[in-house]
Amino acid sequence: MPQPLVGKIQYDRVKGTPVARPRRTALEQAYVVEVVKGLGVTMRHFFKNTKSMFRGERPDAVKDPLSEGITTLAYPEQKKVYPPRFRGVHRLTLRNDGSPRCVACLCCSTACPAQCIYIEAGEYPDGDNRRGYERYPVKFVIDELRCIFCGYCVEACPCDAIRMDTGRHAVPYDSREQFIYGKAMLMSLESADGKQLAENPRHEPPDPTHPGIDRLKGAH
Amino acid sequence: MPSIKLDGQDIPFEKGDTIIRAAARQGIEIPHYCWHPGLSVAANCRMCLVEIDPMQNRRQIVLDVLQWDAAKGDYVPGKKPKLEPACQAECIEGMVVKSDTSPHVALARKNVQEFLLLNHPVDCPICDQAGECKLQDYWLSDQKTAKRMRDEVVHKPKAVEFGDTIVYDAERCIVCTRCVRFMEEVAKDPVLDKRERGNLGEIVLAQGRKLEGHYTMMTDHVCPVGALTTKDFRFKARVWFLRKAQTVCPGCATGCNAWLDYDPRTGEVPRLRPRDNEAVNKYWMCDDGILTHRRVNEDRVLHGYLGRGTKRERVNPGQALTAAAKLIKGGNVAIVLSAQHSTEDNFALAQLGRALGVSELYLSRLKDWDGDDILRDNDHNPNVRGAQQAAGDLKLRPLSELSGAKVVLALGGIADVDDETVLALAEAKIVTIASNHGPLTLNADVLLPAASWAETHGTFVNRQALEQEFHAGARPSGESLPGWDIVSRLARTLGQAIGFTRYADVRAAMGPRNTTPNAAPPPADAAPPAPAE
Repeated sequence: MPQPLVGKIQYDRVKGTPVARPRRTALEQAYVVEVVKGLGVTMRHFFKNTKSMFRGERPDAVKDPLSEGITTLAYPEQKKVYPPRFRGVHRLTLRNDGSPRCVACLCCSTACPAQCIYIEAGEYPDGDNRRGYERYPVKFVIDELRCIFCGYCVEACPCDAIRMDTGRHAVPYDSREQFIYGKAMLMSLESADGKQLAENPRHEPPDPTHPGIDRLKGAH
Repeated sequence: MPSIKLDGQDIPFEKGDTIIRAAARQGIEIPHYCWHPGLSVAANCRMCLVEIDPMQNRRQIVLDVLQWDAAKGDYVPGKKPKLEPACQAECIEGMVVKSDTSPHVALARKNVQEFLLLNHPVDCPICDQAGECKLQDYWLSDQKTAKRMRDEVVHKPKAVEFGDTIVYDAERCIVCTRCVRFMEEVAKDPVLDKRERGNLGEIVLAQGRKLEGHYTMMTDHVCPVGALTTKDFRFKARVWFLRKAQTVCPGCATGCNAWLDYDPRTGEVPRLRPRDNEAVNKYWMCDDGILTHRRVNEDRVLHGYLGRGTKRERVNPGQALTAAAKLIKGGNVAIVLSAQHSTEDNFALAQLGRALGVSELYLSRLKDWDGDDILRDNDHNPNVRGAQQAAGDLKLRPLSELSGAKVVLALGGIADVDDETVLALAEAKIVTIASNHGPLTLNADVLLPAASWAETHGTFVNRQALEQEFHAGARPSGESLPGWDIVSRLARTLGQAIGFTRYADVRAAMGPRNTTPNAAPPPADAAPPAPAE
């Protein structure tokens, strides 16, 4: 019958394997010699690396991070290349005339789990070709501090108007206000390969590029 | 009661009922676009097709069709029963109807859906109807496939202004003619009509006319898709962000039942929608009623204020209450109820009046407006009867008869007050409890912020003497509080406890609501409705 553990630690239950103590010579015990030996290893690597550095043989830490030699990154002069589907800060894509592709449907702000997107929808002014057909964001604000970079806004967008392909991670700033990206800021950003236009342009009926038929000029 | 069998379920019906109406009474929806319970039957959308088993000694009409045989890889001859629109087929005792259980009906619905969406622009991101659109709902429940047409869709006029309130988009329109029928049958102004046929069909205005009158915005409400939108709500909100609370329109004495759609994040109320009530407003509301949602966010009194004109300064609510109590203690108080506030607010104020020992009360109200036989009552106030009830045994006199008071304690900012009354009032010290600015707030020495009707629970008594409850939607804006709460706090500051700390307290003191309509005028010995000032 096992004895209760309360008040009594049963040391005899602890079983260990005896390990042989390392044997040291008197020279090793003397300490100084071993320290000098160890420093020797350090110095050998030091001179090896500095030699390759001076000769320009240092491997590229970005392109060849797994090679021998120094592979630390000299950030921010050197930056790591992010994979192509890396989700960076947002940008708003543009149409050919430089206006935002966004139609202020609020799908992104609906999908956003962090509720960091604020949009105010408005109608194009009188005389604009798009008046009546579409609306546009009067305000488009993303709080990049609140954003968790999940990419749901990009998934939700029916117009390819918002993207996270800038290749920029959240940049450090001095104040919180600077993290609040407005419409102009978001429209000024480019994708990692320098694009700003949307991939699926829309051709409205008044537009000369429109492929369809109008009641007024159609054949039916 | 006679009944039919719909998908194996017994559905009782009244004589003259169509299948869709009998089902709707039982809370069963047969998919439909053009049918509306308050309008005539058009049967043009073909969405409500159902399979009706042949009656006794009758032969079923069977059609020869080609059906796709996947195994053979070709079309083969097949048979299909003739389907009938449930909105037009009248119920007959013992009728057996198959709706959701019939594969033929399912296929018909799917094809009708695809057909209606053939030339649809599918601009849901831009469309205000998205989220409450029948095309979206039935696509998800009955279609779930992409259309097979590869051609460019037919383009039709977009963003056509139908008047000062409505914008029409012919591409989104499925030409169900609900709006046409509404204008003709309910608004009695047949200004809309349909032109062309098939995929070129569109709704047009009568030549030289525009959509006008008091019932234009209902065309947007009856539209099952996003073809008609109101300028008032256009691009204002996405409907899935809105929550609803049941409310009563404060526009006139009819007391139309409505849904208060509010944004819980900002407290804004972007629109009102009619709430079905056969006894009061059926399915409709007038434009002015729908637009009363503007009162929630426009011209609001949000803080306590002291002083008149340029001397007016903002103070915290406690200071305002103390200042009001100090004025009222000066004696000779006249108390003004409001026909624009809930019965609860008026009741609390009348109780305070009794505690202060006044023998008569006054009533502020809006002048009569242009009523009609459809919904609008001549009385522009929602709650004259409620104020009369609240006054009880105290005499209720119109505000124009008020004179000689040193202090006026008034409820409600929305009122029409003539110049003579304003001059007479200007000599007195005025304490006003109001949600919106108006003639009684401009000259107020102490202004206390009340919650608007959309932000508090309460009751309006309509012209049928129905006591209709409305619920709070958004939270009270600014530092406002429900009117009865302010009155109760004022009473406590005065040392006249009227004992209301919760809404339930006020209700308990008032007794149960009358919920049976009574169109008879109020008894002659009660205070007569104040004449228009």
